[in-house]
Amino acid sequence: MSTDTRPNLLRGAVAAEWTKLSSVRSTWWTALSGVLLMAASAGQLAIYAANANTNDDPADDPGVVAAGSVVIDAVELTQYAVLALGLLAITAEFTSGTIRTTLQCTPSRGRVLLAKAMVAGAVTFVLGLLLGGVGALVARPVLGEWGRAPAADTIGDIVAVATYLALVGVLALGLGAALRSAVLTIIVLLATLMIVPLSLQEPDIAVLNRIADVFPGVAGGHFLAGDTDPYPGAVGLLLLAGWAGAALLLGRAALRRRDA
Amino acid sequence: MITLRGLTKRFGATVAVDALTIDVAPGRVTGFLGPNGAGKSTTMRMILGLDRPSAGQALVGGRTYRELRRPLREVGALLDARAIHPARSGRAHLLAMAHSNGIPAGRVDEVLDTVGLDGHAAGKPGRTLSLGMGQRLGIAGALLGDPPVLMFDEPVNGLDPDGVRWVRQLTRSLADEGRTVFVSSHLMSEMQLTADQLVVIGRGRLLADAPIDDVIAGSAVAVRVRSPHPDGLATLAARLTATGATVEAAGPHELTVTGTTADRVGDLAHELGVRLHELSPHGASLEQAFMELTAGSVEYAGGPTGGGTR
Repeated sequence: MSTDTRPNLLRGAVAAEWTKLSSVRSTWWTALSGVLLMAASAGQLAIYAANANTNDDPADDPGVVAAGSVVIDAVELTQYAVLALGLLAITAEFTSGTIRTTLQCTPSRGRVLLAKAMVAGAVTFVLGLLLGGVGALVARPVLGEWGRAPAADTIGDIVAVATYLALVGVLALGLGAALRSAVLTIIVLLATLMIVPLSLQEPDIAVLNRIADVFPGVAGGHFLAGDTDPYPGAVGLLLLAGWAGAALLLGRAALRRRDA
Repeated sequence: MITLRGLTKRFGATVAVDALTIDVAPGRVTGFLGPNGAGKSTTMRMILGLDRPSAGQALVGGRTYRELRRPLREVGALLDARAIHPARSGRAHLLAMAHSNGIPAGRVDEVLDTVGLDGHAAGKPGRTLSLGMGQRLGIAGALLGDPPVLMFDEPVNGLDPDGVRWVRQLTRSLADEGRTVFVSSHLMSEMQLTADQLVVIGRGRLLADAPIDDVIAGSAVAVRVRSPHPDGLATLAARLTATGATVEAAGPHELTVTGTTADRVGDLAHELGVRLHELSPHGASLEQAFMELTAGSVEYAGGPTGGGTR
């Protein structure tokens, strides 16, 4: 049948994954908690910036701060709500046993994971845009005279935040497919995004810092900050994308090898 | 048509399914029977490409499951009725399945109607569904793609008597439509009512693959004899033993005779002038045949019979 082309089969799998993700309330609660977290932490960071400018210590004055950079800093905490969306898309299937139904419907493990990645990536990207917008809207008025929000820069920052969140969402999905357990996946994510690179940077030894720069959270940070050192922001984006792709391949290998 | 060729599954040192070779033919209900841990569910999971065989092949319509592009249109399966996301409604569960195989969304309402789940039940989150409703939902999922091959793992688990009768009629009508119907059960009596062909396994090995009547006919028949006269009964017992039958006294007024027929016992009693109060053949049931077939292959001897489903 001509309708059994690969794109058609992938389209069907994507529609199924979207139906599954959107039909459980936890998806929407997770999104809402992300919005609240972003509003709270963007507000808090904006207050800190304004306070630092007005306290007695002139050494810590950040000067006029861009709302977009407050949003970027707030992502550090907010990302964990978004990660949950990516990893729950697969770990909930292992917990409830629906993975067997999913693989009965779509026996190609690669296609299942690709469809999940497309849906999780798209949802976290759109959620990222929303979070970025909310963060900027909260940060700008709180910063008051110490803030600025040029439209083009702010939009650029928001799109960057959304891109970053989509990629870590996919990273979480791939790891979830490989590790099966939500708790284990969260621990590994915390370690790779934060704990390991922070530990490496702690002694401030050049070679350890270089190693830390390769980790996905650090690479994503350089991308978001638009750094030029140690590498251009675009390289940070590529590194992060590489991590997400590698996690997907790992997840696919695990799905293929293991009995469901 | 389901074709198994030397299908084997090992978990470490344990052989769960041992070189199973069978054909499950269309147009009839094939019962898949075996004690707990016999390997029924593992076999079904291998047919569905969920578990990888250690050796051998499982083919559906001549192809392995992983080769199927729109598998729900080729094989419908109910594996585990509890495998539904706790927060997702039954309707959304089926809708996702339909989308994945390019099945029109309208088909979801058709199968919900077929299995007798109304709009209210289909809209409830998975965690609130009873086992019986879960079974119906699982059967709805199996029927979704209108497939020529259907597999049901313990479909009557958790169903009330009406539900059991309904599954019986459903499997029968699906087979009558020319489909391949493969139903596992540990309920021998249920198989006796539904199945045409019987595949019996124990410890992963094939014990029987034959029409159900042959399986029953192959089992030994015991004849129960009751008489108000112990002396006459003793004489009868002696004569029966002399003719080669095996006689066991089940009490002063009762004998259990094997190795002969009820007719033969009746003739002898008449000849000897022994008055009988009962003369009845026993054990010509699937239950008896099953017990004989699986004797020595029961994994958890002495345990109660239950669904060994994960």
